[in-house]
Amino acid sequence: MAIRLELAAVSKSYGHDKNQITALHEISFTLAEGEFLAVQGPSGSGKSTLLNICGLIDPPSAGHYSLNGTALSQLNTKARCGYRRREIGFIFQRHQLIPAMTVYENIAYPLLLNGIRKKQIKLDVEQLLVRMGLIHRRAHLPKQLSGGERQRVGIARALIKRPQLVIADEPSASLDHQHAHAGLQLMRELNREYGASFLIASHDPFVIDRCDRKIELLDGRLGAST
Amino acid sequence: MSWLRIALRNVLRDGTRVINTLLIIAVGLTALLVGSGFMLSTYDALQEIAMRSEGHVIVTDDNPDPALGGTHQQLNLSGWQTLQSSLWKDERVVRVLPRARFEGIISKGNKSAVFFGSGVDSKEEFRVHGPFLRTDGVLNPWLTPQETPDVVLGAQLARTLNATKGDLLTLHTQNRHGENSEITVQLAGPYHTGTPEIDNHSLMTSLTTVATLLDTDNISQLSIYLHQREASAAVQTLLQNSLNGITVQTWQQRAELYHKVKAIYDRIFGVMGFIILVVIFLAISNTIALAIHQRREEIATLSALGTNPSRIYANFILEACLIGLAATTLGMLLSYAISNGINLAELMMPAPPGKTEGYPIFIYISWPHYLITSAMLIIVAAFAAFLTTYRVARTNIARTLS
Ligand SMILES: Nc1ncnc2c1ncn2[C@@H]1O[C@H](COP(=O)(O)OP(=O)(O)O)[C@@H](O)[C@H]1O
Ligand SMILES: [Mg+2]
Repeated sequence: MAIRLELAAVSKSYGHDKNQITALHEISFTLAEGEFLAVQGPSGSGKSTLLNICGLIDPPSAGHYSLNGTALSQLNTKARCGYRRREIGFIFQRHQLIPAMTVYENIAYPLLLNGIRKKQIKLDVEQLLVRMGLIHRRAHLPKQLSGGERQRVGIARALIKRPQLVIADEPSASLDHQHAHAGLQLMRELNREYGASFLIASHDPFVIDRCDRKIELLDGRLGAST
Repeated sequence: MSWLRIALRNVLRDGTRVINTLLIIAVGLTALLVGSGFMLSTYDALQEIAMRSEGHVIVTDDNPDPALGGTHQQLNLSGWQTLQSSLWKDERVVRVLPRARFEGIISKGNKSAVFFGSGVDSKEEFRVHGPFLRTDGVLNPWLTPQETPDVVLGAQLARTLNATKGDLLTLHTQNRHGENSEITVQLAGPYHTGTPEIDNHSLMTSLTTVATLLDTDNISQLSIYLHQREASAAVQTLLQNSLNGITVQTWQQRAELYHKVKAIYDRIFGVMGFIILVVIFLAISNTIALAIHQRREEIATLSALGTNPSRIYANFILEACLIGLAATTLGMLLSYAISNGINLAELMMPAPPGKTEGYPIFIYISWPHYLITSAMLIIVAAFAAFLTTYRVARTNIARTLS
């Protein structure tokens, strides 16, 4: 199995001098292609910090990591932005749909950013909308959707461009059980279909149990991996 | 999917706040357009007064005629009839009016007053002043010495002398030889100009009357009236080059009141315009800053999805432009309605400096002017939005979305 994401002794500290907090201590692990990996740990253990580094939102303070062989630690803000645009899909805890965009536009947005032709966008988005049972909602604004529908739109937006890596920070935390499980089900299906690697932060046992593998964070240090 | 539609939805989403900003800009634009419409019509009126009273091109001779002594230093232009005939052949010229300035004392019975008089072409003179010299008196040319020549008096001068239409008056002055000279004239009527110096002291009579009284047919100036004011400079240059030792001026060089009032108004409206632009700048900055503040999560999300900062800035600038567009459209309609209302109401302005009478307020409505001013405001709004987004739209994605 080809390796996708590889971290070697990645650390992250916030603040300076006396006020310095080290949120991550020399984290090393690899995420294989198509793998569905859970990052487990209590609140404040550094899950979000790790996902933000892997998702190229924040740079690490030390250490090296690479995606599919491309070194990422030294990328500047602009290059990280471009990488996020092309290679990474995000699923957010509060879905973070753009309120002024319709369901269709929210899902189409990553393709538009990548300069895909309008015709192709329409084809891809409508196919996914049908696939997710959202086609009748295509022209609706996020505020007109239920929580479960919003989650599905959020998942669709993350996967529409078929990214190499999907980052999901506590994706089920704002949903009831039924919807959370439906969402996870969908993520697994798309993981199999599209072959993207998933990195999911969660402390929901239901979510963790359905992942291929889990790593455990405790006070910014890597614990057992199973 | 279009950025424009999304910007529009965002603007509509911010409802009340946007409406406040929109109204500020619309009212500001209305103040600018109505104010400048009034200013421009005032400039036009003052130019009109200057051109009508003095002519488009004015020929004078500043070299005193040695033959003339005493009070007749102003009658220097001799042989003007030849110039007049040659000017008549120029197709740009409508009228060439001679004017002979003289002064003296006018009396009726035991009442007398100092006057500043003009000998004029009695037929043509009253065709050029339009609404700026109002009289119902008719100044007949003085054809035979048996008749009594006519005179028209500034309204206040007539009142001072207690003279009414048909009264006989006497003009006393010195002729070109320095001898006392007088003539009896008949009042054909008073005239009003609204300018006190003129209404208090001036009178007009026919050129032949003045020539008889002063024993010279010299005049003070030839006022040339053209079909088009734009030709003034060309005619001036032509005359100046062909006439030696003669002064040729355009109306602009002699339009003192116009220049004075324009200087004052330009400053007033300059300051007003600047203040309005600052207010609009602040209103838009405030609106955009609040919008950015409220949409921090959205900005962070767009950024996480890989949107370049410039694209995010552009969205807010587009929103500012949309607000500006809606506001200036409203402002133009408001200006149009208010200007038309004022014009129809025929309101009067108080008298400007140097005048005793006010004048009707007229507001110009010029669509090119409206559109240019609106475009300027939209540019100010876009610039304010740009500075604001540049200042406050940077977000820490991780912290905003956590
Ligand atoms: N931007 C930041 N500035 C300073 N400290 C931070 C920042 N983000 C996270 N931290 C700290 O880093 C530690 C890990 O936080 P986080 O990664 O959010 O944990 P989790 O997602 O597991 O709850 C916490 O102690 C938190 O206070
Ligand atoms: Mg977290």
